[in-house]
Amino acid sequence: MENTDASSPERKLQCSDVGKCFQLLERILDGELVEGGNELLQEKLDQCQPCFAHFHLEQAIREVLKTKCTKQPLPEKLAESIRQMIQDAR
Amino acid sequence: MSEVQRRKYSQEERSVVFDGEFMPHIDSMYNFAFRLTFDEDDAKDLVQDTYMKAFRFINSFEQGTNAKAWLFRILKNSFINDYRKKSKKPATVDYQEVETFYNSDDVDYQSTSDLRAESVKDMLGDEISNALNGLAVDFRTVIILADLEGFTYEEMAKILDIPIGTVRSRLHRARNLLKETLKGYAQSMGYGRDEEED
Repeated sequence: MENTDASSPERKLQCSDVGKCFQLLERILDGELVEGGNELLQEKLDQCQPCFAHFHLEQAIREVLKTKCTKQPLPEKLAESIRQMIQDAR
Repeated sequence: MSEVQRRKYSQEERSVVFDGEFMPHIDSMYNFAFRLTFDEDDAKDLVQDTYMKAFRFINSFEQGTNAKAWLFRILKNSFINDYRKKSKKPATVDYQEVETFYNSDDVDYQSTSDLRAESVKDMLGDEISNALNGLAVDFRTVIILADLEGFTYEEMAKILDIPIGTVRSRLHRARNLLKETLKGYAQSMGYGRDEEED
């Protein structure tokens, strides 16, 4: 039973270039880095504990943002009143 | 009048574009407007104004291109020009101060490295929403566009009228600020750096 945040003996505990690596991981998560992105990601996740933790943290934040912050209920008559305004403007 | 040379939508085509390409985005538009203004009435007005402008300038929209990005750009410009000044809740953080503080990447990672994915997943209340709302408007906006609405960096650059490189760095800083706030919440939930028994 593997915990996604479990440390693995194969992973190094220090990342030598944390600034660059983390920004790279974030771009991959944003879908902005396509070429060679998957291989690079796999390599980081397999071999570097700080990258592994950061990737899962960023992923969790994106998921929570999406589920918690996108459901502002639309005022009941807004769409209707916009259609009416357009009608009147014609 | 060079305007006459341009192909314009007929009355019928206008309705098709408006109903078929603009109106389906009303939920996202309202959510964006509400997170910018923090006020239901202001958000409603902002969305209405945006749709009125979209209708008025419909001939500058090319059918089949990204209507959502086009609308978001109008909404964001309307917000800056008409609403930002009268916003009921001014930004709580000074942008300049934040930019200076977060100029160093080392600061970012040291300060957020002890926030864990598990503690974020356990935030079942309004923590994430409050953390997002607490960000200065420029940082809040990039998070909304990227993470809530799924715009690409390129689309965001067009919506915000800034270079892609600025989108990338602003987003990165915004996320670090968000994590900083979340770390505070996590600590108050008992996910401190040092596990203490009581």
